[in-house]
Amino acid sequence: MISIRGLSKWYGAFQVLADCSTEVAKGEVVVVCGPSGSGKSTLIKCVNGLEPFEKGEILVDGISVGSPKTDLPKLRSRVGMVFQHFELFPHMTVTQNLTLAQVKVLGRTPAAAHEKAMALLDRVGLRAHADKFPGNLSGGQQQRVAIARALCMDPIAMLFDEPTSALDPEMINEVLDVMVELAQEGMTMMVVTHEMGFARRVAHRVIFMDEGKIVEDAPKEEFFGTPRSERAQQFLAKILHH
Amino acid sequence: MFAGFDFDVIERSLPYLFREGMVFTVTLTALAMTGGIVFGTGLAMMRLATGVSLAPLVWLAGAYVNLMRALPLVLVIFWFYFLVPWIGGWLIGARQTIQVGAFWSAVITFTMFEAAYYCEIMRAGIQSVSRGQQSAGYALGLNYWRTMGHVVLPQAFRNMLPVLLTQTVILFQDTSLVYVISATDFLGAAAKVANRDHRLVEMYLFAALVYLVVSYVASRTVGRLQARLAVIR
Repeated sequence: MISIRGLSKWYGAFQVLADCSTEVAKGEVVVVCGPSGSGKSTLIKCVNGLEPFEKGEILVDGISVGSPKTDLPKLRSRVGMVFQHFELFPHMTVTQNLTLAQVKVLGRTPAAAHEKAMALLDRVGLRAHADKFPGNLSGGQQQRVAIARALCMDPIAMLFDEPTSALDPEMINEVLDVMVELAQEGMTMMVVTHEMGFARRVAHRVIFMDEGKIVEDAPKEEFFGTPRSERAQQFLAKILHH
Repeated sequence: MFAGFDFDVIERSLPYLFREGMVFTVTLTALAMTGGIVFGTGLAMMRLATGVSLAPLVWLAGAYVNLMRALPLVLVIFWFYFLVPWIGGWLIGARQTIQVGAFWSAVITFTMFEAAYYCEIMRAGIQSVSRGQQSAGYALGLNYWRTMGHVVLPQAFRNMLPVLLTQTVILFQDTSLVYVISATDFLGAAAKVANRDHRLVEMYLFAALVYLVVSYVASRTVGRLQARLAVIR
């Protein structure tokens, strides 16, 4: 579904990504982790072309992201993305947030878009908040709306960029619950997160990054059981001991 | 203190002052504001364009804004009034100059001049919207124009509303400069009556009072509007 081959990216002279390669199969849940500054967010933003890259190739459902001939808006409309800071549109109601792209990009009728939005709000348990503005919702509720907004487009894969990092601890679970459910339904997911509990529960594979390189790319059991690299061992020891 | 003044002249000339003068001033302000904000927003988008291929646009918009902001408004009004017939004629390929009245000449001049100032306000407004908002628009499959139109500009506009309206109050006052092309705006009408009836002090006092009241009321309205339209964060 998503294949990344020899991806390299520079900010000026600084190399943020160095020759990264991996594959995400249909229905697979891949967790990307690593210390901050390791390039994991940049990697995931390259997948839907939000960040340009200089070398290598990314194919999403067989379409090359880096090719100048690719209709990027169309490709992006098929790949959902959830951001660390939610990025709901604050000047629109929850419903308007959910229907905008359905109408403007997919060409659905307002009625059909509204129906879809309500169904997805039901699913994340926020139908009662349909007419509120994002600023009146808690962080956890905003992130669930953001997930619903991405799902409204019927994506073939979902990208999560540290979806729980900006949340208060008591709100993390309500968001993770939605993500777990999504994973169990067979959604193809690439998730940048430090939530190792989530990784243990639903991930198929874990990618560990450091200094722009993919240091470890292993099935979940292997990663948590016997990580090969020393760097990954240190990282796990640090975040699992508390 | 006011002995010897004749305030009746104001009452007698009220219909003329407002029906002729104030209508001209308000129409000019409204048209130049609308045109200036639209044109200025376009300039702001050009100035903020990224990518090597768009570099000429960035340069062009920057040069335009800096030129307009470096010239005194009176000069621009004056020059434009005499140049527009020639430029217009040249543009449509006519042998003769085209006829543009003082009013439309003023509308075009003020639109182009104010656009430079509105541009800088909208540029700050666009930059006040976080980059993540733009990314979110793109991630949903919206293209540049839709992301700007539905996501970034509405927020930029709300954030900058007080400054935009303050600039419009300044524009309202600046329209009095059309006296250089002998157009009859509110101040021009007051000046005509003042000279005809030799009541300079009365008329100019009254004109000042009217500008003061309109500008003050507008400034107060800005504050109220801002509270109502602000984005909840």
